[in-house]
Amino acid sequence: MEHVRGLAFYTKLYRKILVQDLKTKMSYRADFIISTIGMIMTNLSGFVTFLILFRNFPTINGWDYYHMLFLYGFSLVALTPVQCFFDNNWNLRFMVYSGDFIKYCFRPVNVFFYFISEVFDVKGLGQLAFGIGTLVYSWIHIGLPVSFMIILKLIVFLITASLFMIALMNAAAATCFWIKNSGYVMVIMFRFKDFAKYPASIFSGIFKVIFTFVIPIAFVAYYPSLVILDPDNVPLLSLLSPVLGILFFYLSYKFWMLGVRKYDFTGS
Amino acid sequence: MEDYALVMKDVCKDFKVLNRHEGLKGSIQDLFSRDYKTISAVKDVSLNVKRGEIIGYLGPNGAGKSTTIKMMTGVLEPTSGEILVNGKVPYKNRTENCENIGVVFGQRSQLWWSLPLIESFKLLRDIYMVPKNEYNDMIELYKSLVDIEPIINKPVRQMSLGQRTLSDILAAFLHNPAIVFLDEPTIGLDVSMKDKIRSLIKGLNKEKNTTVILTTHDMGDVDALCKRIVIIDKGTKIYDNDIEHLKSYFGSYRTLHMRLADDTWESMLIDEKETDIMDVIMRKQKETKIKDIRLEEISTEEVIKKIYEGDAA
Repeated sequence: MEHVRGLAFYTKLYRKILVQDLKTKMSYRADFIISTIGMIMTNLSGFVTFLILFRNFPTINGWDYYHMLFLYGFSLVALTPVQCFFDNNWNLRFMVYSGDFIKYCFRPVNVFFYFISEVFDVKGLGQLAFGIGTLVYSWIHIGLPVSFMIILKLIVFLITASLFMIALMNAAAATCFWIKNSGYVMVIMFRFKDFAKYPASIFSGIFKVIFTFVIPIAFVAYYPSLVILDPDNVPLLSLLSPVLGILFFYLSYKFWMLGVRKYDFTGS
Repeated sequence: MEDYALVMKDVCKDFKVLNRHEGLKGSIQDLFSRDYKTISAVKDVSLNVKRGEIIGYLGPNGAGKSTTIKMMTGVLEPTSGEILVNGKVPYKNRTENCENIGVVFGQRSQLWWSLPLIESFKLLRDIYMVPKNEYNDMIELYKSLVDIEPIINKPVRQMSLGQRTLSDILAAFLHNPAIVFLDEPTIGLDVSMKDKIRSLIKGLNKEKNTTVILTTHDMGDVDALCKRIVIIDKGTKIYDNDIEHLKSYFGSYRTLHMRLADDTWESMLIDEKETDIMDVIMRKQKETKIKDIRLEEISTEEVIKKIYEGDAA
């Protein structure tokens, strides 16, 4: 008796796990409220820093205040999926050290899916709301048009941008299968995301190369958002970014799964 | 082949471990070192387990029990040799293999921590694609074997260790697997809970003809559940037969309990082939007064201890 588990199976299963998870989260009301407030405060403080900075430097490399704001909002929205859906990556190394990780290998479902599906982080939703607000506000001030095509483009390239961030975090988390102190790898990756809200054009030479090809932070907002902001001369990298995003995500997934295979599950 | 749930043939598992050096200089050396040594955790183990059998898989700590279980469940690939679980190679068909096995680790719950048990059951039903009627039958069976009312709506995180273990065992049998692996299922539990768990395992094995592979250090589990035991030590199988056979092997051993003048009990294991029990008693009587004497056959616990200590060879 063998079962085929396809996309429909996984979608349905994820939805069910999510519903159950949300139900229990709501039941811990204080916890829910405090974490939501915490997330709003975090975003607010980031936003205020940003405002102070750009009130004083009205343009950076030809990027004015509202364009910078757009980029900021874009990065916030693009960072939401990694926060909401892939947060369990942060727990991976603890599970791997303690040996608890083995439990994810006993179910007839994809190990990556099973592991990731366990945690849905509601806090990311506050960030999403904040990001959308910022996007809309800057959108109006820049005077960007509103059409079906441009919204579709926006969605496609937001997804692209989030794929890059998810892939980065997957890869960073998976290092724990090989190295003991992989915590700092994740922390560094997570810090790098702060660079995402600046136009990659401000970085010079070597940094630009690094943030484009080595640790592709520039794809988390800069390249994809150019498609909306500067539709007349979109660089090739921006156009290619959806394909690159999918490819990068796939590679990070493969790397993660390779880690599972390599890992010898020592310790009882 | 068909009536075996599990077949292992000459299975070996080696681990490569880096030879570590001492001190700071040593640590830096280790960074570039390719100096590995090979440790064989499991050596040439062969084993056939029939459907419906419960076997006790025993061995001292570090004997290679967990490594074997991990190979049987498809998590680790054997270095050499062959394993067939339900006729399939577990490592090559991990997801298929998982459909037909259930796993319980005594100290680690595999359920969703914050969900009530019944919701975990429903998710597992979806994951294993258990047909609705089979699922309902299983729940009915559970109700007939244990009182699940107090735990069914309780989130796993609020359960006592005993309730959690019980839940994990129920969850492992839910999709009616051909084999269930139980790793120290009664560890840390009180006597009455141990009893409950044992009768549950026995009941499920009887009703569903499930093969059970049980690793434990608790000989009470073995006495209650297993007819056959397999013992491994230092990665090698050293015993594979009925418990009764093993006891008769040590048939000449008796445990002598004596109550002394100060009302304390003194116990000793005596091999009648070598020592005469009467001699022992008389010698003791010269030292102190003996108020009471009890003579027992060797217990499973003591047999296993003797084997671990290397007396079986």
